[in-house]
Order: sequence, then C-alpha cells, then structure tokens
Amino acid sequence: MKYLILGFLAVGCIFIGYIFSLKYSRRAKFFKALVMLCQKLDVEINYSRERLKTLFESFDEKTKKQLQGLDKNYLTYLANNTSLDESNLFKGLNFLKQNEKDTLLIFFRSLGRTDLASQSKELKNFEKRFEEFSSFANGENKKYGSLSIKLGIIVGLIVVVLFC
Amino acid sequence: MLKNILPENIYNILSERVSFNAINELRIRADKPIVVSVGSGRFFLSDHGLSGNLKEAIFATRIMIEDIIFRASECSIYSVNEQIKKGFLVTTGGVRLGIGGDLIEEEGHIKTMTNFNSINIRIPHEIKNCSLTAFPHILQDETLLNTLVISPPGAGKTTFLRDFICQLSERNYAFNVLVLDERGELDLGGSLGNFADKISFASKKVGFENGIRSLAPNLIVTDELGGQEDIEAVRYSVNCGVNLLASVHSDSIESFLKKPSYSKLIEERIFKRYVLLSMRNGPGTLEGIYNENFARITKY
Repeated sequence: MKYLILGFLAVGCIFIGYIFSLKYSRRAKFFKALVMLCQKLDVEINYSRERLKTLFESFDEKTKKQLQGLDKNYLTYLANNTSLDESNLFKGLNFLKQNEKDTLLIFFRSLGRTDLASQSKELKNFEKRFEEFSSFANGENKKYGSLSIKLGIIVGLIVVVLFC
Repeated sequence: MLKNILPENIYNILSERVSFNAINELRIRADKPIVVSVGSGRFFLSDHGLSGNLKEAIFATRIMIEDIIFRASECSIYSVNEQIKKGFLVTTGGVRLGIGGDLIEEEGHIKTMTNFNSINIRIPHEIKNCSLTAFPHILQDETLLNTLVISPPGAGKTTFLRDFICQLSERNYAFNVLVLDERGELDLGGSLGNFADKISFASKKVGFENGIRSLAPNLIVTDELGGQEDIEAVRYSVNCGVNLLASVHSDSIESFLKKPSYSKLIEERIFKRYVLLSMRNGPGTLEGIYNENFARITKY
C-alpha cells in the first residue's frame, strides 16, 4: 500500500512538472501559429482579397487549435458591432505577457483598416515581431519546459527516496 | 444591413424615431451635424429624432466615419479599395456609401483614399411597379426600345431601372438581360428577376465588351452614363444589335440637350425613348416620356 501511494505521489509530481511545461509549449506553438497566420493573411489578402471573416474561418484546424481561441474571439468581435479590447480579445488566453498583449491588440486593431499595399506592409512588420516572440517562446520552452518536467521527476524521486 | 454599419446610438434613433423607409440619404461629416434627407426635406439628427435645431443635432466625429467605412467593408477595407478609389463603397445589401477624404495619387493614378472625412449613405428603396407607367412605351410590340432615363441625383433612376428588369421577368419576357452594375446598386439581392445576368464593379467599356461577348444579351441595363468612354460603350452595344436601358444625371430635357457629349447620340437617334423623372412629388415622380425627336408622348 505504501509503495502504491509513493508511486502515485511520484507520478503526481511528474504530472505537475508536465503541466508547468505545457504553458511554455503552448506559448511556443501559439506564436508559431501567429507567424503562420500573418503569412497566410498576407498571401490571401494579396491574392483573393477575401474578407477577414472568411479568411479566419478558413484556417486549418491545427492552426486554429494552436491559436487557442484567439481566432474565435476575433471572429466574435467581427460579428458584433463592438470595440476591440483586451478583455474580449484575450478571453481564455492567460499565458500572454502584457507587452505581447499590447502588440497583439495593435495587430488585430490594424487588420482590415487600410488599403492593400499598407495592409500587406503591416502584416510583414507584424510577422517579424511575432517571429521574435516565437523564437523567445521557443527558447523559453526549451529552457523551462524541459526543466519543469525534469524538476517534476526529481521531486518525485526525492519524495520516493525520503519516504521509502 | 445598416444595423451592422452605423453606430448603435445612431441606428437606434433612426429605427425608433424615424422610419428607414422614409429616409433617402444620411450625410455624415467630420465635426459637423448629421443630416438626414427625408422626402425632399433635410433635417438634423438629434437624440429625439429629426430636428431643425442645430443645437440639438448630433455631431459626427472622424473616428465614427472611419468605423462606419470599416464596418461597411465587412472589416476589410483592403478588399474594397478599388471601390474606395472611385469614391464609393457598396455594402452587400446594396446600400451605397459615397466617401470623401484625401485621394493619394501616384504617377497620375489614384492609389487609395485616406483620412475619410465624410460619408453620404444612400438608402435604396424598392418601389414596386414604379416603372409600370413607362413600361408599354419602352416595350412595344414585343420589341425593346433603347431608352434613357433622365433625372437629377436621388430622383429614382436606379429604382426605376431595377423595377423595369423585375417587370420584364414577372411578365415572362424572357429577354436575356445583362445588368452592368458598375457601383453594385442595382441588385438588392435577388431583385433582378429570372432572366438577368450581372456584371458588377466593371467600367462600362469593359462590362459592355465582355458582357456582349460572353453572355449574348438582348438588353443591357446600366446606371449613370458619364463621360465619352461610356458614350462609346453605348454606341458599341447598339452596333452589336443589343438594346439598351440606361440612365443619366440631368434635371430636365433642356439641360440634357445641352450636354455636348450626348449630341452625337441624340443626332443619331440611338435612344428611341427618354423617360424624365424628378423630385417634384418626392423621388421617382414621372414627368414625361419622350420619343427620339423629344416630342412628349405622355405628360403626367
């Protein structure tokens, strides 16, 4: 019985470590998806000139999943005659830092507001900014993401050793 | 449709205190009072509805104007830049927004318009049977006569054309009608009957050439003939044996006859009928129908 409980405790510690690491991997995937979003928008806007609503709805499921609800929040804003602010754009996204939120808010507020040439330039500028975020988030993920799992394993082992 | 593009407070006042059916036009200018055209009168928009008192008027802001244009473009201004370059924007419901702002030119070509400062929202009305009086004079012995509808702005030219197309369809005249909808105003969504093809947002020249070649129409319907290029397009269409129903801005037959660009068309008697509309008893007042010699066939 004792060993069973210790086993559960060890698994629990590893799981907590994994949960912490998820935050970093989600951030990394999120910014990677944002870069892809910029690229897709730039291509589609220049080629098909489709409306934003159609473009956001036509993203593939994988990208949508990685955007973690940001696309849905933006589509809700497009559908309603409301203003775009932090509370409605970042609903359910609790892993973003304030400077990232500020940049994203400016990005989404600028979408659809200008002519084709200006919109395309803006998208390219934001793509570069998101690439910076993405490489930073990747670094964080490599550094702290794996560290969290390792820490979880170590803590789990310590618990097992201490109580054995 | 207006609900999606107007600020909520403005929309609520217009829908609750003024009837949309009565409104012809909304003029929204930056830092100026919002003006509503109802019938042939113009009023300020106030919190209580229409008002003649400037002190009660609601003033528009530049941000309000930018937001309206943004919403009217379905949040995608880049997708309607070609329209904005021409100074207008048509929503999916056929509401036309005339836009004022700074035009950016590059090497003699308009690149875009920025710093929007005014909007003229024209609200389309479908007036059933408004072309019926003129109908037998345009369609005689199963033959369509080339017709030009003459009227000042806002007097019902587009409504007349739209209704005429509809009347043809309702009476099962299966003429192949090509609607050249340069500004996207003619079709209010399924209002063109069963025998009409549509080319939208193309110039008259391009639309006529492509349409005749690809769709083989019996009748071309188009709104607001303008410069020499449009006149050439009309001549091309007639030379191809395609009938024409078009409209032109002018407040009377006399002022129309003074337009130099139309003198050749008049001399050649290309148009067999002229329909004159006015605002005398509200938009769409039929003043008279004239033949190719400008002899009045009917008087109203």
